Parts: sequence; structure tokens; C-alpha cells
Amino acid sequence: MDFLVKIQESGFCQWVREADSLFAFPGILLLHTIGMGLVVGINATFDLRILGFAPALRLRAFEKFFPVMWVGFWINAITGSILLAVNATKLTHNPDFYIKLAFIALAVINVQVLKRQVFVPAETAPTTKVKILAVTSMIFWLGAITSGRLLAYVGRSSGVL
Amino acid sequence: MNSGHVHLWLNHLPTIGFGIGLALYVTALLLKQADLRRVCFVIFFLAAAFTIATYVSGSDAREQLKETPGVSHPLMEAHESAALVAFVFMEITGFFSWIGLWIWNRPTRFAHWNVGLIFIFATLTFVLMAQAAYIGGAIRHPETEAAQAVSLNPSVPTLPRAWGLFVQDHSWVWPACETIHFVGLCLLFGTVLIFNLRMLGIGKTMVSFAALRQLLPLGMLGFTLNLLTGMMFFVATPEQYTGSFFFLKMMLVVAGALNLLYFMLSGSPESVEYGGDAGIWTKVIAASGILIWTAVLFCGHMLPWLGNSF
Repeated sequence: MDFLVKIQESGFCQWVREADSLFAFPGILLLHTIGMGLVVGINATFDLRILGFAPALRLRAFEKFFPVMWVGFWINAITGSILLAVNATKLTHNPDFYIKLAFIALAVINVQVLKRQVFVPAETAPTTKVKILAVTSMIFWLGAITSGRLLAYVGRSSGVL
Repeated sequence: MNSGHVHLWLNHLPTIGFGIGLALYVTALLLKQADLRRVCFVIFFLAAAFTIATYVSGSDAREQLKETPGVSHPLMEAHESAALVAFVFMEITGFFSWIGLWIWNRPTRFAHWNVGLIFIFATLTFVLMAQAAYIGGAIRHPETEAAQAVSLNPSVPTLPRAWGLFVQDHSWVWPACETIHFVGLCLLFGTVLIFNLRMLGIGKTMVSFAALRQLLPLGMLGFTLNLLTGMMFFVATPEQYTGSFFFLKMMLVVAGALNLLYFMLSGSPESVEYGGDAGIWTKVIAASGILIWTAVLFCGHMLPWLGNSF
């Protein structure tokens, strides 16, 4: 616990939390939102393509767009760590935060499994198993977005929900 | 020019501009001119885009007129209410017009129905817009006969105020709409990225333009989700969305619509096959598409810090 307080009260974290600069909290949160757009945007398009949307688009084409998705992922890993550090004591007591992390972990494992099934030299029509994985992928990202957005509401002292 | 003038100037697009579009559309239908019909789809689509900016600039105009003597507040409320209904019909017309452009050259049964559907919605939109404009014109002249003709009952909340009360009374509505706004953002962003990155050369051996075109409805779905949820925020608390920063966001959305229109109308990206490179001009437009939508996201995100929200 002392450890978390120490991080939270470090000079950098204080600056992020309290500085009257767009590069502090607003900028970091902005990058977190853009990262979300990259990751979920490309992954959801991939999932919908598996489910039959935009059939002229080759599934293996996504192999070329996945690096963009991983750029988004790392932006969010870094900015997410900063956002956790500046609010460490509160977030680690918020069950919603762990729900969000669990959804992200599941979604990342899901896309890795899906990638191995889809990006093969001989492209075939998606199997039922692959289609189910595409649906779960969308559910996990939807869960991550929802629980992430609700972090602003649950566990607040006033408590909206 | 202050923001009140912006509202007065922009008003001409959903009224006179749209009226010209409707007249041309009727001509196109009577003379069976397919090309002219396509021009009208473009006009309706653009009118719908500009109407977003027009509608939101109204809350600035209201702030400006608040203290002005001789201005009728009940008429302002009535104008807002009429404009909201007209706005909804305008966006539906724009939506189906966009679909008309998207399925152009594909003679399906729906394309046939769509022509009639657009005629019905465009006519209703024109009547509703004329009504909203009529009440709007009376705001500064409440003594005239025109103003007296508008029936007002101040004890009943107008549609936008009832809408606002609903959002205020149900604490789940705001966070639910925010969440959907984020989902829509992701869908829109995914399409914008894959579409424009391909135009810039990423994954070109794997993707032709014809394949990219199939992606566009997904981006439009994302945009529609965000327009609907965005309107939930705006109509409920219009006083939060005043000032030039929010207006900039809306003008960037209009820029995004123009950007999309280039790809829908220009034949040159259409010729981009597997492994082919888009022309330099197309690449510039593609890069600007990514920039425009990132800027929209920036403006939305920074509203509490650079705008007047929360």
C-alpha cells in the first residue's frame, strides 16, 4: 500500500494529475482514446470480416494492418500504466478496474488465437470455430470499452451507479 | 462576425440550398435524368452534413440573444423544437442519399425503392425546415402577425426540454450514451484507418479499391451511432456545447463528409487494383481523412478543457 502511495505522490504523477497543461492528464487520456480507436477499430473490422461483412476484402490483408493495431496496443499499455499510477490507490480498490483488465486480457488472447487460425498460407472460408472466436472477440472489446468508460462513474465518492 | 451571425448564415444551406436540391430532384425524376439524380444525392448528403453544424450553432445564437430586448424566448424554444424535428428528417434524407451514392450503378430492387424513399423524406424535410425557419425568423419580431400565428403553450415543455428532462432524470442514460459513442468511434476509426492506409500503400498487394468500398457502411454505422448519441448529449444540455471549439468539431465533421465524398465520386481511386498505387492527389486526400477524424476525436476529447463542457 505504501508502495502505491509512493508512486502516486511522485513528482511525475503529481504533474500529470495537477498540471494545468494539455500535455498532462488531458493529453495522456487523449492518447489512450486514440489507442483504443486503433486497437478496437481494426480488431472489430477483422471480426466483422470473418462474420461475412465486406467479403471482397481478403482476410489475410489484415496481416498488414495488425502492426497498426499493435502500435495502438502499446500506446495504451504505456498511457494506461501512467493513468493507473496517478490514481493507484483508488483504482486498485475499484472492482470495475479489474473487470476491465480481465476483458482486455481475454480480448488479446482471443486475437492471438484467431490470428493463428486465419493467417495461414491456404486461405479458406472461416470455420464455425473461427466465427465463434470473432463473436467473443467483439464481446470482450465491448466489455473492455464499457467497463473502461464506467471507471469514471463507479467507485466515485458521489457514486452515480 | 459573431457566432450568432454564423447561425444566420448557415441557415441558408438546409433551407434554400436544400430547396434547390429538392427542385432539381423533382426535375430529375420527371425527366428521368439519372446523372442529375446523382447530383441531388450529393446535395442532400452535403445538406445533411452542414445541417449538423447549423443545428448546433443555434445554441450559440441563443446565448447571444439572451439579453437582447425585444426577443421572444418562447419563440426561441418553439424554433428549437421545430428545428430538432426538421433536423431528424434531414439526417434521414442524407443517410438514404448516401446509400443511394454507395449503391450507384448496382441496379437492385432497393435502389429503386430508395429513389422514392428519398423523395418522401426530402419533401417532409423541406416542409419541416420551412416551418422551423418561419418560427426562427419571428424570434426578433414577436409583434408581427407571423409571430402571433405560432401557437405557444409555455406550461408544456417543448420536445428538446422534455428530452433534456428524460436524460437528467435517468442517471444511466448519459454513461450508456458515452459508451456507445466510444463504440461508434472505434467502428468509424477502424474503417477510416484501413481505407485510407490502403490508399497510402499499406497492404496494397492484398486489397483492391472495390474491396475497400464494401467497408464504407461500417464507418457510416459508427458515424450514425455517434450522431445519435451525440444528439442525446447536445439536446439534453445545449448550453455545454457553445463556443468556437465545439463548432470547430462540427465543421471538422463536415470536412470528413467532403473527404468521404471524394472517394465516392472520383473515378480515379476506383481504378486502384491489387498492388496498384493511388495517385498523389488521392494519397493527399487519404492522409487528410485520417487527420480530419483524429482532429474530430481531439476536439471531442478536449471539450472539458478547451470548450465549455462539464
